[in-house]
Amino acid sequence: MAEETELLHGTLDTLILKTLSWGPRHGYGIARWIQDTTDDALEIGEGSLYPALYRMERKGWIEAEWGVSETKRDVKFYSLTSQGRARLKLELAQWTRFTAAVSKVLYETR
Amino acid sequence: MPRLGRFRRELRWRFWSVPVEREVDSELAFHLDMRVRELVEQGMSPDDARAAAIERFGDMDRITEACRDLGRRRNEDMRRAEWLTELRDDLRYAVRGLRASPGFTAVALLTLAMGIGASTTIFSVANAVLLRPFPYHRPERIVRLYETTPTSQTFSVSEPNYLDWRQRVRGLSQLAALVGREASLLGDGDPQQLNALAATPSLFPLLGVRPVLGRVFNEDEAKSGAPARVVVLSYAMWQTRFGGDPAIIGRTLNLSGAWYAVIGVLPQHFVFPGNPDLWEPLAPSPGAQRDDHQLAVIGRLAPDVTVGQALDEMRSVARDLAGQYPKTNGDWGANVISLEEWLIGRDLRTRVQALLAAVGLLLLMGCVNVANLLLARATARQREMSVRAALGAGRGRIARQLLTESLVLAMIGAAIGVVLTTLAVPVLRDVGGAAIPRLDELSIDWRVISFGIGASLMTGILFGIAPALQASRADLNDVLRSGGRVAAAGRLRSILIVTSVAMALVLLVGAGLVGRSFERLMRVDYGFRTDGVFAAAVTLPNERYGTRDQRAAFYAEAARRLVATPGVRAVGFTNIAPFSGGNTSISFAAVGRPPATAEEFLSANWRSVSPAYFAAVGVSLKRGRLVAETDRGEAPRVIVISETMARRIWPGADPLGKQITLSGNPTPWTVVGIVGDIRDQVLQQEPAPMMYLSFQQVPWSSMWVLVRATGEPMALAPVVRREIHAIDPLLPVSNERPLSRFVSEIAAAPRFTALIFGLFASAALVLAVVGIYGLVAYGVVQRTREIGVRLALGATPSRIVGGVVRRGLGLAGFGIAIGLWAAYALSRFMQGILYDVTATDAVTYLAVAALLVACASAASILPARRAARLDPVRALRDE
Repeated sequence: MAEETELLHGTLDTLILKTLSWGPRHGYGIARWIQDTTDDALEIGEGSLYPALYRMERKGWIEAEWGVSETKRDVKFYSLTSQGRARLKLELAQWTRFTAAVSKVLYETR
Repeated sequence: MPRLGRFRRELRWRFWSVPVEREVDSELAFHLDMRVRELVEQGMSPDDARAAAIERFGDMDRITEACRDLGRRRNEDMRRAEWLTELRDDLRYAVRGLRASPGFTAVALLTLAMGIGASTTIFSVANAVLLRPFPYHRPERIVRLYETTPTSQTFSVSEPNYLDWRQRVRGLSQLAALVGREASLLGDGDPQQLNALAATPSLFPLLGVRPVLGRVFNEDEAKSGAPARVVVLSYAMWQTRFGGDPAIIGRTLNLSGAWYAVIGVLPQHFVFPGNPDLWEPLAPSPGAQRDDHQLAVIGRLAPDVTVGQALDEMRSVARDLAGQYPKTNGDWGANVISLEEWLIGRDLRTRVQALLAAVGLLLLMGCVNVANLLLARATARQREMSVRAALGAGRGRIARQLLTESLVLAMIGAAIGVVLTTLAVPVLRDVGGAAIPRLDELSIDWRVISFGIGASLMTGILFGIAPALQASRADLNDVLRSGGRVAAAGRLRSILIVTSVAMALVLLVGAGLVGRSFERLMRVDYGFRTDGVFAAAVTLPNERYGTRDQRAAFYAEAARRLVATPGVRAVGFTNIAPFSGGNTSISFAAVGRPPATAEEFLSANWRSVSPAYFAAVGVSLKRGRLVAETDRGEAPRVIVISETMARRIWPGADPLGKQITLSGNPTPWTVVGIVGDIRDQVLQQEPAPMMYLSFQQVPWSSMWVLVRATGEPMALAPVVRREIHAIDPLLPVSNERPLSRFVSEIAAAPRFTALIFGLFASAALVLAVVGIYGLVAYGVVQRTREIGVRLALGATPSRIVGGVVRRGLGLAGFGIAIGLWAAYALSRFMQGILYDVTATDAVTYLAVAALLVACASAASILPARRAARLDPVRALRDE
């Protein structure tokens, strides 16, 4: 993974939540979507994606159902729960505050 | 957890049935395959693509393991959350359901509260009396030993015999002897009469009791015939008299004029029959009279020895002693009983067990009744259940939901029941404490609480299971229509209801008889009047009051001083106050009619009284004169006899001037008067022959002073103390109380019986009524269609009501008939505890039967009226 695309700690959860807010997706779909949306700037490693999915499922932010993929295979589709939606809102607000604060420092002109 | 629709939840259950290992593997494999596809589309060869994808994936095994682990924990969490959510839903649903039908809820709760309250209360009695262990080390190995005579199996033991037993018996590892002692504590404040026990030093190790302070006696302090002047205090004595002073050890106490050193204090939990205040060492002497039987002896069985084996050995030792000392031990044997039999008694054990069994039955009846109610309700809620089932609730889920409802019901019922128990327990303790061994320590401890919780859980499951099973059956409608099984179940329910009505009748008849008997007993004329009479005991120590004249002078002076007090009307002395628990009796012969054989000796109770005794307790003179001041020691011996004695000894003749001799002594006693009969031992017994002797001719060292005055008797307590201490400041005045308290104490046992019977009977009545109500209501619901048809065909509501009530009354009548028969059959067991009422008293039987008929009618009319109000159209459509 390229150095500039390394994720900030905790940002992966937010990205997954945001991705799922557009509709249910399987794990590969989530990774793909993030990659596509960022024009390959962000690549999600499997080693962090799947444990994150299971962890979030346990927290009740997302839930999974078996479905059939575009390649006709049984696969788990993840979707956002109402708890997950609330969590996403919270994290977006935090992210906005955080980036605003960081921007202030980085682009301060004297 | 988010709240999900039933459909989603069901799906997830199925989803979980995929093992987490396969779930992770297939998910990761899919991901990998998709990556390979991606790379192949970009132009790689499939093999290169796969290698690249795997490379990119990283440590496959580690990721798999991490996901599996997280997945397993996720599943556990979800299951728990699911379970809790369902429980919460069930509870909320149950409470809502119960609140929606307040009538049903109230009736069911009442039944449960009665059942659990009654059984927990009875259990607390059994716990206090039987189950609670004695506060000794391995109490089951402790035995009580007696000597026996041809007529008594429980005679006290003489000192030389005790010492011989101690030397010879192998089957008992330890033996200890004790004997009661009188002791008055002198010193600061008024002298205090104490309850003392002298015990051999072996007693405390035998019981396994260690002092909380100081030590107990050692063998040196109990050298044969010369016990040391040391005492061990009871915890209560230490606390009340010495304020728990930690420096009590080594202090000396003046007991009846001699100084004793305190060497120890016993622990708080230690109890012993008679509740002694203090203990002194006992030193049995081989030189004591072998035929002077005074000692109570207890022992500890040697390892592996049974009570029976110890008894065999004791008997053989007694035989040896009889051979060795034929004069004193000729007819004497030995007896061994367990500690439990000694302190509780076999009879009481049986009675308490019978009570427990009866109350268990009562609880079971309560379960059956509530189950009936629930069944009736479940049938009424059939539609609701069908809807729930159609919406996807599994059968197990519905059953669980109904069971939750039952448990909620049981728990609330139990809570009310436990409240009832806490109300009943103090009453039982106050009423029965004096009459029933160990009941004075009746309390609600952890055993009672666990019983209450256990009983309610059990009832909840028991009565909840039938409706739950029925509701979860494949097709309720089919079962109902097919008829066969329902009819069988209906018959079973009818039998149970009939049984519970019969049982209620038996218990009500019992309660009625006991109640009537108690009422008669309370109105019995015991021949004297207790109102306004104060009683106290005075004991004259031998050192200062050794002679007859000294004693007589003291009593005369005390009477003279007390009667001068304003408000006092009479001051009498007697050696035994009525119903104080003591008795003195003697054998006698009428002069001129010497008995041919020993059996012909007559026997009567006797009392040594002062002249004013009769006025003090209100015993009336019938003929002749009372004991007089002039009947002094040197004057001719006189007796005043009761009417019963006059009738018995000199039937048809005038007893005045007749003479008797006492106990083989030739000195004649002349009858000078006849007074009314009194009962002073047992309320239930007809008055026994009684004679009164002059207190100057038979001055007893320990007498009761009885003061009749206007006003509150206890107001006399300080007056009596003051006047007696004015004569002799070292005399203890004890047992101060109104004379009426002796009567109420003597009535404690019958009152307790009446209370227990009342408790049982009211519980049984409620249960029976609820049972009838439940069954009739169930019948109405079941026959909704039939009733609808009949109403539609023109049956009047009153006919419908009549039909339903007839069914309820039919069941009740059947139960009443069986109950009457059973009560009659059992009546001979009742006669023993009844007074002045026959066990087949027709009035009681009829009254109880009428009461049950009335209650059964009321219980049937409610559901019957509901049936009559049915709208025929809806009744038919509902099916």
